[in-house]
Amino acid sequence: MASDARLLGPNERAIGVPHREAAQTLARRLPALTVTAQHIAASVAHGVHGRRRAGMGESFWQFRPFVSGESASNIDWRRSARDDRTYVREREWESAQTVWLWIDRSPSMGFQSTLAPQSKGDRALVLGLAMADLLVRGGERVGLHGLCRAMATRGVIDRFAEVLALADRQGAALDDLPHPEPLPARSRGVLIGDFLSEPERIAAALTRLAAAGAQGQLVLIADPMEDTFPFAGHVELRDSDSTARLRLGEASAMRTLYLDRLAAHRAAVTEAARAVGWTTMLHRTDASAAQALLTLAFGLAPASRTGAS
Amino acid sequence: MFGLPLAFTAPAVLVALAALPVLYWLLRVTPPRPRALPFPPLRLILDQRPREETPSRTPPWLLLLRLLVAAAIVLAMAGPIWNPPPALGGGTGPLVILLDDGFAAAPGWDRRVAAASDRASAAERQGRPTVVLPFSDGARAVQPATASQTLERLRALKPQPVVPDRLAALPALEALLAASPDADVVWIADGLENGHAQAFAERLASLTTRHPATIVTAADTPVAVAGTDNQPDHLDVRLVRAGNGAPTEGRLHAYDLKGLPVGDADFRFGSTVETHATLTLPVELRNEIARVAVDGVASAGAVSLLDGRWKRRRVGLVSGTTADVAQPLLSPTFYLARALAPYADVREMRVGTADPLAALLDEKPSVMVLADLNVGPGADHDRLQKFVADGGVLVRFAGARLAGQADDLVPVALRRGGRSFGGALSWDQPKPLAPFDAKSPFAGLVPHDAVTVTRQVLAEPDPGIADKTWAQLTDGTPLVTAEKRGKGLVVLFHITADTTWSNLPLSGLFVAMLRRIVDLSGTVAPGGGDKAGASASEAATLAPSRILDGFGVLEAPPPAARPFVASAPPAVSLDHPPGFYGPADALVALNLFGPADTLTRFEASGLPFGRDSLLASEPIDLRAMLVTTALVLFLLDGLATLWLGGGLRRLRAGRPAAASVLILALAGALLWGPVRPAQAFDDGLAVSKQDMQSALSVRLATVMSGDAGLDAASLSGLTALSHALADRTSLTPGDPIGVDPSRDELSFYPLLYWPVSAAAPQPSAATKARVASYMKQGGTVVFDTRDALTQRPGGPPTPEGAWLRELLSGIDVPEVEPLPADHVVNRTFYILAGFVGRYATAPTWIEALPPPSANEAARPARAGDSVSPIVITGNDLAGAWAADADGQPLFPLVPGGARQRELALRGGINLVMYTLTGNYKADQVHVHDLLERLAR
Repeated sequence: MASDARLLGPNERAIGVPHREAAQTLARRLPALTVTAQHIAASVAHGVHGRRRAGMGESFWQFRPFVSGESASNIDWRRSARDDRTYVREREWESAQTVWLWIDRSPSMGFQSTLAPQSKGDRALVLGLAMADLLVRGGERVGLHGLCRAMATRGVIDRFAEVLALADRQGAALDDLPHPEPLPARSRGVLIGDFLSEPERIAAALTRLAAAGAQGQLVLIADPMEDTFPFAGHVELRDSDSTARLRLGEASAMRTLYLDRLAAHRAAVTEAARAVGWTTMLHRTDASAAQALLTLAFGLAPASRTGAS
Repeated sequence: MFGLPLAFTAPAVLVALAALPVLYWLLRVTPPRPRALPFPPLRLILDQRPREETPSRTPPWLLLLRLLVAAAIVLAMAGPIWNPPPALGGGTGPLVILLDDGFAAAPGWDRRVAAASDRASAAERQGRPTVVLPFSDGARAVQPATASQTLERLRALKPQPVVPDRLAALPALEALLAASPDADVVWIADGLENGHAQAFAERLASLTTRHPATIVTAADTPVAVAGTDNQPDHLDVRLVRAGNGAPTEGRLHAYDLKGLPVGDADFRFGSTVETHATLTLPVELRNEIARVAVDGVASAGAVSLLDGRWKRRRVGLVSGTTADVAQPLLSPTFYLARALAPYADVREMRVGTADPLAALLDEKPSVMVLADLNVGPGADHDRLQKFVADGGVLVRFAGARLAGQADDLVPVALRRGGRSFGGALSWDQPKPLAPFDAKSPFAGLVPHDAVTVTRQVLAEPDPGIADKTWAQLTDGTPLVTAEKRGKGLVVLFHITADTTWSNLPLSGLFVAMLRRIVDLSGTVAPGGGDKAGASASEAATLAPSRILDGFGVLEAPPPAARPFVASAPPAVSLDHPPGFYGPADALVALNLFGPADTLTRFEASGLPFGRDSLLASEPIDLRAMLVTTALVLFLLDGLATLWLGGGLRRLRAGRPAAASVLILALAGALLWGPVRPAQAFDDGLAVSKQDMQSALSVRLATVMSGDAGLDAASLSGLTALSHALADRTSLTPGDPIGVDPSRDELSFYPLLYWPVSAAAPQPSAATKARVASYMKQGGTVVFDTRDALTQRPGGPPTPEGAWLRELLSGIDVPEVEPLPADHVVNRTFYILAGFVGRYATAPTWIEALPPPSANEAARPARAGDSVSPIVITGNDLAGAWAADADGQPLFPLVPGGARQRELALRGGINLVMYTLTGNYKADQVHVHDLLERLAR
């Protein structure tokens, strides 16, 4: 009887202040994150990635001689006053990366065993919101895939929490896979969920998401009980998303088979992600959330910075 | 059953216990529900059929729990009874209950009656008639009666202060058993051989061969007081017991005639059956002792009565001869002192005293013995005359001086000179004594032929001399004459106190005669005239005055008690129960046990009797307890099943509120103690609202006993009294209130009515201190024990009385006395004779007033300096006052009547007025004088 598990009810799963505070606390523990900008979309609004060329931006890039026909207001009079030529001050073109976040809110995410301090859903939420905060502080734009547009506001955690809560109430986000709308090209996708659906469905969904060429990462949240199958004796197991139930006279006899199946399933999911150029990472809820966030951040951070830090 | 006091009303049901193994097997193969767990990745293995389907077994502790539930239910259905009522014998005829009802049965009388009642009730359930045969009433033929008649008879029975002879019951018993041979006999015995127990038991055994009789005995046998002896320096009390089982130690109390304690002494038996206790008290106090009783033993055997015979009297000895110290055997006082010493304090004149007679009279003796002393006119003569007139006994012995010149302190006129018999110049032989006349105080004594008189003084043959003669010689000449003078008595021995004239002083008869005379000294009837003969004839029959009942309480004589002849004290029987007989100033005690009596234990061993013992406690029906146990175990089983199936967690997670309600309800059900409702009490307020109200108006208050019915009655009574006060007096009291002395401030209430309930817990020491300080500060507490119907004067205290005694033991209470008729509380508003309530018999006790001074004696009312802090009654005052909203009384009165109710109300009004006005009414007696003085 050492281990036990339960499924959180709808009320318990509601997003609340604890989630936001946990996410904020978690995000503060990591430096602001900027996503590698391998593919810079021209349509993207200004961001903090210096593009090594003149454009819209905050920091000084170069002075160039005024070309006739330009707006006179562009002239930098302080520089022009030094000699007889008139100069225009150019700023470095900065652009922001857009990251699309998807957090699994299906009932199976409400699972929590006594081995873990948090349910899978709570952990996913905290991870996702912390990630969003981190990105926004790094100057990136973050959006909830299928729920709201990308934004770079300071209070992104609160905003996202509100959106997610609204979606929960409307029952819109209970699907266990992301909305099949493709992500915009050159944006990044971060999908956080348990990915226990059939590998074929997951592969199809990923294919749709990455249809425009977006890159991304899958975070597989797993409860330690799901990972180890610690049951013994007379147990009745019930599915969370359906009414299926399985009565096991001696549960321990099933462990090897289950672990084999689980490994096969995860391999299939990883393979489906790799097929579209996405990466996967596994996170158990009994591990530290900060560790997962760090790993996730490194996956998104520019290579140079990663190396430097 | 199994040596335990346990029985089953339906033992056949116990067969169901045999089904427990089947249940065990069934439970074992039926496992509890599996743990149900959510498991999201289930679909990974949903296609699998489990390879191993063997369910796990029911845990052994759960199995045990369920078996316990089943066993408890089966046991409960079998109707178990702890301390079961006794089983009857195997007979089918009537049930004969033989009841020892002597003094030895008194201490556990209730248990004996209960044992008999239980058996009678059991016989009634079997439709069998019962016969109760108390041994004291054994000779009467009895007929079987129904159980209700028997129970009524049992309730009316009381232990008798005698040792009943069991053999007397044999004829009635034989007739009964001959008429109904199927009868069962139960003998509720007191365990004493006294009263022919062994002989009766043997006869009973032969009578009841068909259905052996059952003998019911108590484990303990009584202790008895057998004989008291007033020694020179202490009162010796002899105590006996019947072997082991009786108390080995205890305490004796001595009381005077009024029932006031005089002294006490401890006794200890050790391993013997007889012991002595010593009451060391001054002789004056010892002479007051009228009753010696063993503390805490309510039995006639544990009481010994003392009359005048036990008193030690002071006797003064004066001799006319000059004391010849060298030859004491020739001194008359030598024989007198030796003869008087065993039962009187002898004071001899001291050598060299100027006026020995006056010196001895100063010591206030009861008897003065003058051996051959002529008292001439003078101070000594006058003092002696006054001594006799005040009730003293003057005993004189003749001698040469008296024969020569007689004074007037003699009962008869004496002839000058005397006469001699058997001298050298006489033909006469020395004369022996004639038998004593029946009217003489010496009646019953037998004169010995060897006692002869050789010389004596002669009385003038006046008319009436025969009445004055107590003893005479065979030829009819008076030897001892006596005459009443005033309250006293003058006795003359016509011989000397030494052996010169007679050898009487050498005989035991002399000792006995002197003892009779000394005994007379306390009983001489007052008044002048010649009462010697009259008192002798009165003493001939002694009517019962105060008689001991079986519990050892002195009471008015029962109708069956008959007088006896003084000269022949009878053996104690129902006709002559132990107690005091005779006139009030000369009581004669008749005791159950004398100094030679012993108690013997009766074991009934070797006789074919069934044995039983008196129940120590009530039968307890265990059914409710077992059913409750089963229910609790069943709940535990439910909880355990929930826990095993994981449901408890679901419950806790899903509806924490519901779960906590359930757990609270369970806890409440398990506690099942009376939960006192929390008292709303405003600690924040310095002065509570109640105190504020009480301070603004005069209110009567009653102490809440915790008994709801009693408290309601008390409050209702005080309400009615408050209305009466408002109607009739200028006092308009506020609504009465129930207070808790441990919590509430008492100083607002002039009068605290405290109905005593024996069931209520004793107040704590702090509460007692509060009550004591309330009484000290001028409050009056009226304790009402409401036990007028159950209390017996001098008997063991009622439960309420004992409760009150324990309460007051921690409180400094002034000395109380029964309410005197002229106490001011009887005069404060109405003129009353006392306080009556629902009952009218219990006395009312109030703080003792100082004794009335001479100039106060005529006053109609007396009062102390302050209001009595305590009034104790047993008449249930509030019960008589209590009325409903329409003014209709709530409780019936005993004996009843509107007058009694009115008197009860008047008593209440007087009480309230007394607490409010104090001794004001007592001072009113001066009004007349004051007015006179003003007019002057």
